[in-house]
Amino acid sequence: MTQIGEPILEVKDLKVHFPTPDGMVKAVDGLTFTVHRGETFGIVGESGSGKSVTCLTALGLIKRESAQISGEVLFEGHDLLKLSNEDLRPIRGKALSMIFQDPFACLHPFYRVGDQIVEAIQCHDSCDKKEARNRTVELLSAVGIPQPDDRFRDYPHQFSGGMRQRAMIAMALAHNPSLLIADEPTTALDVTVQAQILELIDHIKQEFNIGVILITHDLGVVADVAQSVMVMYAGRAVEYGSRDEVFSGPLHPYTWGLLESIPNIDRKGARLVPIEGAPPSLIRVPTGCSFNPRCPHRFDPCDKDRPELLDRGGGHPEACHLRVEDKKRLWNEREAGRVEEVAS
Amino acid sequence: MSRAASTNEPTTDTPPEDIAKSSKAVGEPLVTVENLTKRFPIKKGIIFQREVAAVHAVEDVSFAIYPGETLGLVGESGCGKSTTARVLLKLIEPTSGKITFEGEDITGLNKRQMRPMRRQAQMMFQDPYASLNPRQTIGQIIGAPFRIHKLSGDTKQKVQELMERVGLNPEHYNRYAHEFSGGQRQRIGVARALALRPKLIVCDEPVSALDVSIQAQVLNLFEDLQEEFGLTYLFISHDLGVVRHISDRIAVMYLGHIVEVATADELYNNPKHPYTAALLSAVPKGKVGTQVTTRTVLTGDVPSPVNPPSGCPFHPRCPKARQVAGGDGVPENCRVELPPLGEVVENHHAACWYPLEESEELAKAAHA
Ligand SMILES: Nc1ncnc2c1ncn2[C@@H]1O[C@H](COP(=O)(O)OP(=O)(O)OP(=O)(O)O)[C@@H](O)[C@H]1O
Ligand SMILES: Nc1ncnc2c1ncn2[C@@H]1O[C@H](COP(=O)(O)OP(=O)(O)OP(=O)(O)O)[C@@H](O)[C@H]1O
Ligand code: SF4
Ligand code: SF4
Ligand SMILES: [Mg+2]
Ligand SMILES: [Mg+2]
Repeated sequence: MTQIGEPILEVKDLKVHFPTPDGMVKAVDGLTFTVHRGETFGIVGESGSGKSVTCLTALGLIKRESAQISGEVLFEGHDLLKLSNEDLRPIRGKALSMIFQDPFACLHPFYRVGDQIVEAIQCHDSCDKKEARNRTVELLSAVGIPQPDDRFRDYPHQFSGGMRQRAMIAMALAHNPSLLIADEPTTALDVTVQAQILELIDHIKQEFNIGVILITHDLGVVADVAQSVMVMYAGRAVEYGSRDEVFSGPLHPYTWGLLESIPNIDRKGARLVPIEGAPPSLIRVPTGCSFNPRCPHRFDPCDKDRPELLDRGGGHPEACHLRVEDKKRLWNEREAGRVEEVAS
Repeated sequence: MSRAASTNEPTTDTPPEDIAKSSKAVGEPLVTVENLTKRFPIKKGIIFQREVAAVHAVEDVSFAIYPGETLGLVGESGCGKSTTARVLLKLIEPTSGKITFEGEDITGLNKRQMRPMRRQAQMMFQDPYASLNPRQTIGQIIGAPFRIHKLSGDTKQKVQELMERVGLNPEHYNRYAHEFSGGQRQRIGVARALALRPKLIVCDEPVSALDVSIQAQVLNLFEDLQEEFGLTYLFISHDLGVVRHISDRIAVMYLGHIVEVATADELYNNPKHPYTAALLSAVPKGKVGTQVTTRTVLTGDVPSPVNPPSGCPFHPRCPKARQVAGGDGVPENCRVELPPLGEVVENHHAACWYPLEESEELAKAAHA
């Protein structure tokens, strides 16, 4: 069982707004969450809901000129949003690491994989070439690259997709980070390789006792590997809790919709229940609850008052005006309806 | 080349139309492929090109699809799903093998002779962005098949009827494709594919680029249209949940070969081929309590289709073969002899020398 340790990243009321010719894009609009050591923190939501921007902002990778950023990102006692670029660089390289969906975002196609990791090690640690090389071979073997001594000299294109992903993870681990951010790390991979990479990330988390933020649109992945889950919609969290709370007793109509839209591999199910309509434009986010134009349970206050992310008595925070008793009843009814359909 | 001449001899005595029938297998199949093989030559030399090797994209594949049926085709990237679809529609020529449509052998037909059949069989692609011309209006895109096949009548009215049917607002007739969301663009693709009332639609990853909530809308649309028009689908996806949901019958591909065919329920509840079992175990279950570490049964990647392994294509990664031989060995027949796609239990075909017993568990691979 995974032990959850002290908090390492605390994000408070984060807002990231991009001015564009068409208007202000409110990519992230008031987000608060905490990631602990030994925890895999899953962020799920549809395309454009602000998952990547949240993490890129925490890493200082969103250019400050291009966006209006407010709130706090507390990491090891520093507010990362207040640090200058020079002060941020050592933290970004060493303590926080990120892996991306596309390994070529990190690996330069024209340089040998091994040399790139050596360079990454040397740019933060003052150690000689030989030491850095040994450490690189160690890292490559730790992430499961066979014959790391030989593969050291390969170029990225000589690696398969899964191996490139492993190499990128090796690079991210070069400085013993305390927080690893993985943005859709397995989306481009086949399912058997995806299982290997998820296992690797889980193994590393326990071995090094670090925190992991796992961004994905795949609820199945989150349910399998995360301890905590935040569901995002249009730049805000709509539900936030432990994995068991969110998957066993979801309290938000958007989460219900997501859960019901996935074809289930365990049964040739009844008809899927899609969420009607399409995600909103982030320039003209609907007033009140931003999910209200698509919500089948919309009622009086929904298009006027914006629901805050609160524990309304259901055991974990959610952002929906419905009373908790009603939510529990509605979710049970929706579940019962599905079971009945399968039976018939 | 390592493989013995496997492509010229049939791998199974079962004719394509009898491989793992579903309840929808009545009458004559709409389409069959028999011992279909496609190899892409790899050439070297600038002026005098010579063939130095070949990509074994599709190897001796046989199956049939009955009218009104959905056959799902699953497998990992590069296993030959798209190539199978393109050869079946004769968008590319097979290296060998036979294709029939409504009982007629279409293998040798030229472009002009293929014309009438083109109307009957349409293809839908994965990427709703790339497959639509952004400079064309919706009306032009959906109406194109009418013009290409020089059909008379009120095109606009027909197009608007189609738009309505797939859930697009007919008033948007003059809008451009880039003004639509991903799910809407995929609906445009569906409307265009339906324009000529085809019998067969080949869907190559039609929902993979869509968000889950939108994916569900499009999958429901496919089901409704099948019921309404009696459509037959070949449905390609790497997503096992999606394939199970939509298919009557499923064929699993690995390195160009079909390794298992059965009805959807049978395949998922009782996989016979070790690769199918490994694939199913790797899918995130989305169930609280399942642990990621219990489901990695395969190590390594899919081998290259340029130099496919001898014998059973799965033998370098197969956990069952290691169980049978003990230790890290592989039985002799797995290494040298290609197993035929044979009937293992009634209406359930698999290409394996040691098919799995019911609910047999695969050993988990050692951590790499
Ligand atoms: N530099 C920028 N300028 C303007 N808008 C931006 C910028 N970067 C991101 N956005 C917008 O912010 C929103 C959130 O984007 P983000 O990349 O965080 O989404 P996401 O949840 O990661 O989606 P996906 O699942 O597709 O990766 C999107 O609408 C995007 O278009
Ligand atoms: N025109 C071509 N020339 C050479 N090789 C090709 C060509 N088209 C496909 N291939 C190769 O044939 C093999 C099968 O490719 P195919 O596109 O059919 O796979 P797929 O199962 O559809 O994969 P994916 O899930 O990635 O779409 C691959 O190794 C591919 O690289
Ligand atoms: S606040 Fe209203 S519109 Fe929003 S999710 Fe709850 S019921 Fe639906
Ligand atoms: S034939 Fe042998 S190697 Fe191939 S799948 Fe069966 S047991 Fe495994
Ligand atoms: Mg993203
Ligand atoms: Mg393909």
